[in-house]
Amino acid sequence: MELKVENIFKSFGEKEVLKDISITAHGGAALGLLGRNGAGKTTTIRIIMGVFFPDKGKVLVDGKQIDRNNIRIGYMPEERGLYPKIKICDQLAYLAQLRGMSSKESQKACDKWLERMSMSEYKNKKLETLSKGNQQKIQLAATLMCNPQIIILDEPFSGLDPVNAMLLKDVIKEMIAGGAVVLFSSHQMNYIEEFCESIAIINQGKIAVDGRISDIKRSYPRDRIAVTSKDFEKISPFVLQKMPDDITDVKNDGENTVVIKMKSPDFKNRLFAELSQQDFDIDCFKVCEPSLNDIFVQYTEVGV
Amino acid sequence: MKHILQVLKFEYLNCIKNKAFIITTIILMLLILGTSFVPAIIMDIQKSEDDGEPTGDVNIIGIVNNAYDDNTLVEKIFTKYYPHSVVQVSEESVDELKTKVNDSQYTFAVVLNSPISFTYITKNNSLMSEETMTIAEAAKGIYRAVNFEKFGVDYERTATILDAPIVYDTVTTGTDQTKNYFSTYILVMILYMAIVMYGQMVSQSVVTEKNTRAMEMLITCAKPTHLMFGKVIGSGLAGLTQLVVIIGTALVSVKTISMKSLPEGLSDILTMPVSTVVYALIFFITAYFIYAFLLGSLSSLASRSEDLNTLTTPVMMIFVVAFMIVMMSMTSDINNTLMIVCSYIPFTAPIAMFARIALSDVAFYEIIISIIIQLVSIYLLGMLAAAIYRIGVLMYGNPPKFNEIIKLLKEQHKTNKAIKSKE
Repeated sequence: MELKVENIFKSFGEKEVLKDISITAHGGAALGLLGRNGAGKTTTIRIIMGVFFPDKGKVLVDGKQIDRNNIRIGYMPEERGLYPKIKICDQLAYLAQLRGMSSKESQKACDKWLERMSMSEYKNKKLETLSKGNQQKIQLAATLMCNPQIIILDEPFSGLDPVNAMLLKDVIKEMIAGGAVVLFSSHQMNYIEEFCESIAIINQGKIAVDGRISDIKRSYPRDRIAVTSKDFEKISPFVLQKMPDDITDVKNDGENTVVIKMKSPDFKNRLFAELSQQDFDIDCFKVCEPSLNDIFVQYTEVGV
Repeated sequence: MKHILQVLKFEYLNCIKNKAFIITTIILMLLILGTSFVPAIIMDIQKSEDDGEPTGDVNIIGIVNNAYDDNTLVEKIFTKYYPHSVVQVSEESVDELKTKVNDSQYTFAVVLNSPISFTYITKNNSLMSEETMTIAEAAKGIYRAVNFEKFGVDYERTATILDAPIVYDTVTTGTDQTKNYFSTYILVMILYMAIVMYGQMVSQSVVTEKNTRAMEMLITCAKPTHLMFGKVIGSGLAGLTQLVVIIGTALVSVKTISMKSLPEGLSDILTMPVSTVVYALIFFITAYFIYAFLLGSLSSLASRSEDLNTLTTPVMMIFVVAFMIVMMSMTSDINNTLMIVCSYIPFTAPIAMFARIALSDVAFYEIIISIIIQLVSIYLLGMLAAAIYRIGVLMYGNPPKFNEIIKLLKEQHKTNKAIKSKE
């Protein structure tokens, strides 16, 4: 299954919120949707959900106009929303039925998902009596109950303790493995890196950058090498002496690590060969890649 | 359609299961059961008062006669008008009378200043007291007796001619306003309170959904229009259930408790024609939809309960004014021009038309026209409400001003058209 958002434009009154947004997400993989607050993520998601109509552009599933009556979409909004004063099983069943389940199916699914979230004991409790993290788990259960083919998660991990976060991660990984299309929006980059193969960064209503995370990282100049070794103090004078014309700078970077900046990435193999011929005790030799955080900040800083 | 039914069911069950809702229903039922005992109790008390010979507590009426020479005549005639009281004619001063009335030695006191004027001294003057009229009658009796005597006419005999009791019957060919007044009054009150209550219930429910952001989830599962219609109909049905339970209790308790103990004349006013009840039901439904659509859609523009008042007060004001007009017209001419006009304006028609039907004869075609106007308004208001609701549910922050709503509605209309033409 492939979800494609094609050249979407959307304005609210005078304000142009989305300017030519295109993203593609595949089944069995998660796409990270990144952007600063107010960049247009939620609007994009709402257009996919059919809450707003785009002024221009299309939402396609496997190349055809999306038919929301036949495709099950699970959405977990950033602003958590359920009824605080209604029994958990009642509202879960209600939402599942609105998404097309029969009354019986919804009861079964409710039991199954509460069990999966280890929340069965709260079945007949009112939502407001639960802790924030537990409410979060109920919210995820509500999202996944209809066994969605497209899952949209907006900050699913906020407010969870590490054990619950682990539980949620397992559930989401299961859904991805099951072939669902997952759109994942978060400001916690570590989760994005953990789940998503690809990302799309939206900045001021436009796609600033998109693609596989590894490709994006590779697109940065790979001219810095980090070498971790007990002998790091000996390494820097050594490389400066051996390759004086090819190396512009050597810096100590934290414990046991030196970062070597070369004039060109092409010198990487020579550097490796030179170091390996010596008797240095090297733990790690790797190209310095930018972190997702760096990439995010670079693409979304004002004026870029 | 399926979504509307699902939302309807959910809203209905949640209303019915709501603790506050159940408690209100029970309190109202108890109140009705309680009040249906009241006429019986009052009748009982009055009976014992009427039968009761003045035992321990003797009612003494103090009278000072400054008008006539003959004290016995004054005493005799006052005793005729106050058979259960002791009439005591004395020479006390006004101040003495006042002290005795104040100390409750006298029930009240009268000073006959002249044959045709008197002073009435009482401790507490109640609003409904007819004491002065009785005293005036007594004073008139004395005046007549003395003057007839002067002209040599036998007063005892003429008195029967002068005060001949007249018996009468009324035959009504149309609607008997006096008979239906009480029941209509109650039904108009119920209609008014029910609409206010259930209208606010819808408002509150819409805002809660927005406030708790449950709307964020719902909006992705169903169309806002379906959500609104489901909610309005569901809450309405819950309201109707409550009304049926309460009115049912009232009917049963009136039939079993009050009727037996009430004299015939009084029980008449508690019975109402079936057609009146049916009309009450019809107009409850139309009024409910008119106001629920308006209130529901306006409430969708509020993000917090605190904003609700600003948005819904204008609508509520219209309804209160309609209610006032009907209430005032009920005591005068129910078919005055204002009422006739009101019975065709959708916002006032339900209660105005209902009061007219219950209290007078309204041509059937007039009723049909009024109902058709209301149904068309419900349809149009439903469309408008759906459009406002679509805008409102995802709007946060301060509620928009009236002209901003109009602008947004126009914009939405344009986009819808564009989408339709594309398809």
